[in-house]
Amino acid sequence: MEFTNTTKVFTCIQCGKCTGGCPESGRTPLNVRLIVRKNQFGAQVKNSHLWYCTSCGTCTVRCPRDVKPSEVIFDMRSTLVESGDISTSIQKALENTFLQKNPWGRARSKRAEWAEKSGVAIKHISDTLEKRLLLSCCVHAYDPRCHVIPVNISKLLTYSGIEFGILGEEECCCGNEIRRIGEKGLFEELREENISNFNRYDVREILTLSPHCMNTLKKEYNLPKLKVYHYTQLLWDMIREGVVKIGKDYKKRVAYHDPCFLGKQNGIFEEPRYILKSIEGLELLEFSRSRENSLCCEGGGGRMFYEVEVQYERNAKIRVEEAYELGVQTIVVSCPFCLMTLEEQAVEKGIEVKDISEILVEVLE
Amino acid sequence: MKTGIFICHCGHNIKHTVDVKELSEYFKEIPNVYVATDYAFVCSEPGQEIIKESIEKFELDRVIIASCTPSLHGELFKDLLKKSGLNPFLLRRVSIREHCSWTGDDLKKNTEKAKKLILAGLFSVVHNLPFEEKVVEVDKSALVIGGGISGLSAACFLSKMGIRVYLIEKEKELGGHVKRLNNVWPYEKTGKEIVESLVSELVKADNVQIYTGARLELLEGYFGNYNVKITADGEREMNFKVGGVIVATGFEPFDPYLKPELGYGRDRRIVTTLEIEEKLNEVVLPEKPRVAILHCVGSRDETLGKSYCSRICCINALKVARMIKEGYENAYIECFYMDVRAHPKGGEEFYEETQVKGVFFTRGNVAEVVPLSRCVLIRGEDTLLGEVFEKEFDLVVLSIGMSSQSENKRLSQLLKVSLDKDGFFMEAHIKLRPFDTAVKGIFIAGCCSGPKDVEESINHGKASALKLFGMLNKGYAYVEPFVADVTEKRCSGCRMCESVCVANAIKYDARKRVVKVEEAQCMGCGLCNATCPSSAVTLLGYSDMILMDEISGLLARL
Repeated sequence: MEFTNTTKVFTCIQCGKCTGGCPESGRTPLNVRLIVRKNQFGAQVKNSHLWYCTSCGTCTVRCPRDVKPSEVIFDMRSTLVESGDISTSIQKALENTFLQKNPWGRARSKRAEWAEKSGVAIKHISDTLEKRLLLSCCVHAYDPRCHVIPVNISKLLTYSGIEFGILGEEECCCGNEIRRIGEKGLFEELREENISNFNRYDVREILTLSPHCMNTLKKEYNLPKLKVYHYTQLLWDMIREGVVKIGKDYKKRVAYHDPCFLGKQNGIFEEPRYILKSIEGLELLEFSRSRENSLCCEGGGGRMFYEVEVQYERNAKIRVEEAYELGVQTIVVSCPFCLMTLEEQAVEKGIEVKDISEILVEVLE
Repeated sequence: MKTGIFICHCGHNIKHTVDVKELSEYFKEIPNVYVATDYAFVCSEPGQEIIKESIEKFELDRVIIASCTPSLHGELFKDLLKKSGLNPFLLRRVSIREHCSWTGDDLKKNTEKAKKLILAGLFSVVHNLPFEEKVVEVDKSALVIGGGISGLSAACFLSKMGIRVYLIEKEKELGGHVKRLNNVWPYEKTGKEIVESLVSELVKADNVQIYTGARLELLEGYFGNYNVKITADGEREMNFKVGGVIVATGFEPFDPYLKPELGYGRDRRIVTTLEIEEKLNEVVLPEKPRVAILHCVGSRDETLGKSYCSRICCINALKVARMIKEGYENAYIECFYMDVRAHPKGGEEFYEETQVKGVFFTRGNVAEVVPLSRCVLIRGEDTLLGEVFEKEFDLVVLSIGMSSQSENKRLSQLLKVSLDKDGFFMEAHIKLRPFDTAVKGIFIAGCCSGPKDVEESINHGKASALKLFGMLNKGYAYVEPFVADVTEKRCSGCRMCESVCVANAIKYDARKRVVKVEEAQCMGCGLCNATCPSSAVTLLGYSDMILMDEISGLLARL
């Protein structure tokens, strides 16, 4: 496809930093540098190449000329979306999001189904005083495996006396993935709906459960007055200040997997590690590719809803294999996407994958 | 009052979009204008002659030159007036090029605008007074800030020329970064040797004072008479007077922790060029070591706000490659680069020789360095092949760039010299005055104004010293008469002006309860003038009346 660009593609010096660090380039037909190069001349790029990008942001974070290669890819995808030149599964996810405000098209009325499992009374945001909104991701809301995360967090908050509220069925997809698929118009609609909700209930801070939601709320929503943070940040504060007390040990070899949207893209590396280090008996190991060099789980950028053409060894598998070699018993994550992708591969190796909140709930007094 | 108006065509620059003939005809009709004429190049010798003749013929007492911006040819026209027997402060420059002819193509509109600009000059020039330029004595001494290679070079030069030198260095020893270098390309000399030859000269000289562990605390005054306060050895306070200053604060090596994906600090096999140069003997490598050298670490990188090229690191990387090759004949060395910029004299040849010696070059900015137990893994793209690679090495050398001194920020406030976006000191003009700063008598030398190699730093130091010497050696300097003036009757002694004065020139007289201005110290910035609530402070040469009349000129109906 041809493309007229709005990003800084003309200042690209073709250094290859993007491609060298890309979790897909080299193993799939995607070469980020070449896409930018072809853009400089308006040359043809094969449509299918664009869909390997997982939107992990490594290229954009590191680009020495601030070209934002991943944004170039999203821009190109949006031209494809506009012309309808996309796979049916992506199309379906977009339609579902338009209708039901979640990519799976599940009923909006069931958005807060997890709340019944929590066993604690969860208020609507309008009934709270502090106007602290707990915002779950569509994955938390509709995937039964991930229900446990909002459940755990609400338990922890309730027991510690920290007030919070939810939007219930008014909650709506944040649009982080939608924007990265290239459906900019739909992203704008979601953004507007969310912002009007925040304004209606006078929300003052947002506790996000997914790094993806946190990222877009922080960087793409333009909400300078709202405090947006990830739950690992709050949990670490609670532990540090003694609001929650760890009473039991956790005698396992554990490796923490940095989610791209939390680590690389938003610089939150320490809090999850601090939490794990404060648990007695827990042996924290590091993957060879950790922190800024963390290997993407390939769950983002629309890859949740789309099977790529070329078959190759999945990053999640590489990750699990390294964990196996290290003798890791539990891979800990703090992102629902990573939880889903890693767990799929880890089962056969006998390694468990847990959200950090799951471990915390186990070791509390 | 007899005024002469001289309108310049500036070749086609002004004439092209301003009707200069109409201008001269128009102003001829105005009373008190004794001569109004236009000429191709007023700044040329025949142009100057016209002005000189007119001044003598019509006994002019005010001159208006409508031409380029006043910052150009300022001294030239002042001298012309002096030569013609007229006080140079009776000249008024009007910019009809930068402010008029260059801004648009509409001849009619431009001509109207030029008329108003000249009219504004005409209305205000009547207030010009025949000031006298003051002459002050100049102290033949200099403060050199920084004892690195350029500071030392500057100090040596000044000392030889008979200027008294105060050299201050923040570290315990002189020599800066050059002292750490094992081999200074292309001299084949150690940095220590180069530094020591300069230091021994300075130590022998009887007109040089060296302070190490020193810090500049205060600098006030003006060219020829700066009062300096420093602390040396941590606490000892010293005060002295100097005529001029050379800033040679150098650079800081880039902090590789700022590029976390390159793994610096996580493994001892990942080092910087500076470290490997100092400690190659201490590094334990296998017989056939595999060494990767990564170019552009901390240079050409907008994610760090360092978009500039550090200029020295390509040659430095090549030099390190050669050093390792000399120590380990069988070493496999691969340099990863974006562009090899071997720009100094002999640099390209050095690059070629390095290739001949068996060092490999791969075009690709390395994405990640991952230390494993068996090796250090490098991940990147060979951009010429379009292939992603993972390669194993025993040693990874980061060719780090230059960052500005963090101390520059504090110094820039003390010296009142601005910094550029990267924190380096700013030249008065990058091409025409690369050693000067915007402050008279303060010069910059070496890497404090941007990355330079050793050779350039030495030359830069000497050149700044030469320029300063030229000014000091005259023994006197002119001081502009445009200083603040206090009307004591109006002053209420509120001291607001004192608090805003950047030159520390306003002193409070507690007995009279008024302020007064130290004329020699005043920089004529006008802050006090604007701050005074009772209009007691005026800036000579820039009274309210002048501004009001100038505005009337601009608003005049033609």
